[in-house]
Amino acid sequence: MHRFLACLLLPGALHAQAPAARDSAWHALNRLAFGPTPGLVDSVARTGVRRWVEQQLAERADDRMLRDRERGIEVLRRSPESMARLFVEARREVQAMRRERGDTAAAALEDPVARRDMLRDLPEEARELRERIVETQRLAILRPRYAGNQLREVLADFWLNHFNVFAGKGPVRALIPAYTERTIRPHVLGRFRDLLLATARAPAMLVYLDNAQSIAPGSEPGGLIARRVWRSERMAERRSSGINENYARELLELHTLGVDGGYTQADVQAVARILTGWSIEPPQRGGQFVYRDWAHDRGEKVVLGERFPAGRGEDEGERLLDLLAMHPATMKHVGAKLCARLVADDPPDGCIDDAVAAWRRTNGDLRAVVTAIVLGDDFWAPQHRGAKFKSPLEYTVSALRAVGAEPDTSARLALVVARLGQPLYQHTAPDGYPERSDDWVNSGMLLQRMNVGVGLAAGKLPGATFALPATLPPAGDLRALVAQVDTLVLGGRMTARTRDVILQEIATLPAGAPIASYALGLAIGGPEFQRQ
Amino acid sequence: MSGDGMRDVSRRVFLRAGAAVLAGFGCEPLFLGRAAYALPAGRSLLRAGAAGRKVLVCLFQRGAVDGLSMVAPHGDPIYYAERARIAIPRERLVDLDGHFGLHPRLAALAPFWRDRSLAVVHAVGSPDATRSHFEAQDFMETATPGRRTTPDGWLNRLCQHDHEHAATPFRAVAFGPQLPKALAGSAPTLAIDDLQAFGLRAPTAATRDRLTRVFEALYEQSATGLVASSAEEGFHAVEMLRRVNPAQYAPRHGAEYPRGRLGRALRQVAQLIRADVGLSIACVEAGGWDTHIQQGAAEGQLANRLGELGDALAAFAADLGDGMADVVVLTMSEFGRTVRQNGTQGTDHGHGTAMLVLGGGVRGGQVAGRWPGLDPAARHDGRDLAITTDFRDLFGEVAQRHLGVHDLAPLFPGYASSATRFPGVLG
Repeated sequence: MHRFLACLLLPGALHAQAPAARDSAWHALNRLAFGPTPGLVDSVARTGVRRWVEQQLAERADDRMLRDRERGIEVLRRSPESMARLFVEARREVQAMRRERGDTAAAALEDPVARRDMLRDLPEEARELRERIVETQRLAILRPRYAGNQLREVLADFWLNHFNVFAGKGPVRALIPAYTERTIRPHVLGRFRDLLLATARAPAMLVYLDNAQSIAPGSEPGGLIARRVWRSERMAERRSSGINENYARELLELHTLGVDGGYTQADVQAVARILTGWSIEPPQRGGQFVYRDWAHDRGEKVVLGERFPAGRGEDEGERLLDLLAMHPATMKHVGAKLCARLVADDPPDGCIDDAVAAWRRTNGDLRAVVTAIVLGDDFWAPQHRGAKFKSPLEYTVSALRAVGAEPDTSARLALVVARLGQPLYQHTAPDGYPERSDDWVNSGMLLQRMNVGVGLAAGKLPGATFALPATLPPAGDLRALVAQVDTLVLGGRMTARTRDVILQEIATLPAGAPIASYALGLAIGGPEFQRQ
Repeated sequence: MSGDGMRDVSRRVFLRAGAAVLAGFGCEPLFLGRAAYALPAGRSLLRAGAAGRKVLVCLFQRGAVDGLSMVAPHGDPIYYAERARIAIPRERLVDLDGHFGLHPRLAALAPFWRDRSLAVVHAVGSPDATRSHFEAQDFMETATPGRRTTPDGWLNRLCQHDHEHAATPFRAVAFGPQLPKALAGSAPTLAIDDLQAFGLRAPTAATRDRLTRVFEALYEQSATGLVASSAEEGFHAVEMLRRVNPAQYAPRHGAEYPRGRLGRALRQVAQLIRADVGLSIACVEAGGWDTHIQQGAAEGQLANRLGELGDALAAFAADLGDGMADVVVLTMSEFGRTVRQNGTQGTDHGHGTAMLVLGGGVRGGQVAGRWPGLDPAARHDGRDLAITTDFRDLFGEVAQRHLGVHDLAPLFPGYASSATRFPGVLG
């Protein structure tokens, strides 16, 4: 806490601690951004790392590049209701087609990056849905590639993963655009309580973890017609009737308290009862959040020793989420996860303490929590610099940024990320993708990363367009060439051994070989660029 | 580096000293010195020879296969009563024992039933009642039904606890673009979509070799810890494959693999087994089983998928010939399908299903597991085939009696495995 204050109160304290401005800029751009673009390390070092970090925390960077790219993305203009209806229409059409032809064309709906020729045969709604899903995948690359407010993208990635949903479950694939745009992104530097409440009401989450179907035993809607409709829908979809604990359990275990957060199975059951009735309209009617009072369990509940008196409705769910959002176990669990993302796989206690203190002091203001972490000593400590291994998304996007490559209009870069082991929105379990290096490092995937690096530098990576930067010197002065590659890819931090291997290799290339792209590919596919 | 980190490195550092494996390829144990530091005291290196290494091939039928069509209970009149449009006519089935029959498009497997290398386990599945594909698949692949956050797959845990065998890079391989959950975890495993394309890509063999050499030098010089050891595993795998020369592979004994993913994957499994590179666990997948609409009977959508399955397995067994003595193929699916046909001549998500066990050491020619019958009173939820064999008892039997895993506890956390519940398809 006092270190955090010292940083805020003493301008220049950061610089006094940092060994060199360029080193700090490199570190900040690798952790609080998806890596530097050409020239960015220098410009951040020049204007001051501290100032850049503050600008990122305040979300005041220039985002015009990204806005330009987002302009053609139709899915950003679709309403959540129209996406839910599109899913229903597409499913109906595909089923009709399957009935007619009896087989595989429908598989294209299952696989968001399926082959193109199949698409031509798809009915209109199915094709439209698929195009929107392709856009969702493209956005996941475009945003971190072009955003000026990079920290926001880092945190959006973090929170989407923390509150993971799986696109492959029922209509979730069509609900993801609303989930990213309306549920997660507005809150990544807002209040945790608001973020938690937004996810609890998000149709994607309600479907993914089944809370939409959770109803107090024996309850049915009032009114004869409503009851009849509900019963027939239930039969048609073979929904079970009763309390579903899935969301309640993951809410406590993953989203808030953590597995060692001191709750019991009785708490899980009570939480599930409190959240009965939190549901969605049927997708054909827009699929939006609805609180169904008739489905709510009105009895008394006790959670973590707190009494929730009988007779209450939707408000007790909000009270519960408030309780969870400010629970010490939540601060510790979620704070430690943020530290693991931003500082080190095994973050030091001091860093977590800073995050928890800021959380408590500000009632869970995530901007204050992140500020405490990234302006703390641990973030800048030498042993934590370059100590994390990039996730497939981080690796791919940082490679694009390093050389200034541009994503094309396909979703093929998302497929590259998938092939490296991180298919976006397709992690089935609610725990999200892992954060630790051990979970990403394996031999097959390392070889794939080398291929990605070489392919990108050669202008042959599917989904990316890239031409060698004009700044690379022509063949002849090999040392100058490798120095340029070093600046571009490794911020001038290439080890002598790496430099020697690359120099030796390109010196013996046959005449006419594309020396510059070869050297660039080796640097991007090499071991140092895997770290951040 | 923290203590945990050290342990990870030691667990994952690839041991290059696999004498028999390497001698076969003339590889020198270049990195023995570096790898040896990480070898925990008292851990045996490996068995004397690689020959006779047992192989388990897990074939996941994603989408929930209709076990009642794959192995149909033709002796049960309810089967025909409930499935007027989709039941397989008795005369078309390959009768197994007077009560069950193989789907006619699985006829290629009949010889293995007769020579007793094929067994069926029926009414097998997960005790968890979820009807969600992905959840049920996760539960089966982590072998922890009902637990959503188990971090690793059961086959990966099997590798973590197998100290008997050298960890060659090809010990556990998934034949597809991505690693399935069953193989995910801290033990090194590989996903290989295409053996010929595995490794670095370049227009010619010469440039590919050159690229491989320079990246190997880069990682050797500048990587540390886990990244260094994993890269080393990778380059070693590439080198081994180069010597195996997958482009030259010719199936033996006239085996003809069907076109398509499954045939290609099994062909590559056979290739790696025959190349003796230390493969002990292989994962392959087959999709297209989610037959809600127009599933067909003796012919049709499901029949086509079963035809591919049967032909691919038969080709695989023929190709390996006597080599099948050391191999078990186990099919699995996340759940079965409803007993009764639905309104669109298909079936919906159910519960119990059938799994096939094929291999030289199999006690074949039997449909194992207690048959609960199709009477509505005996069904799960009144609608689905009940489960009389927990899938973990089948997996456990295969792990213990085929792969020689003594302690099943780490494979099936929270579940007390017992040989008394094994379906009895091995040993």
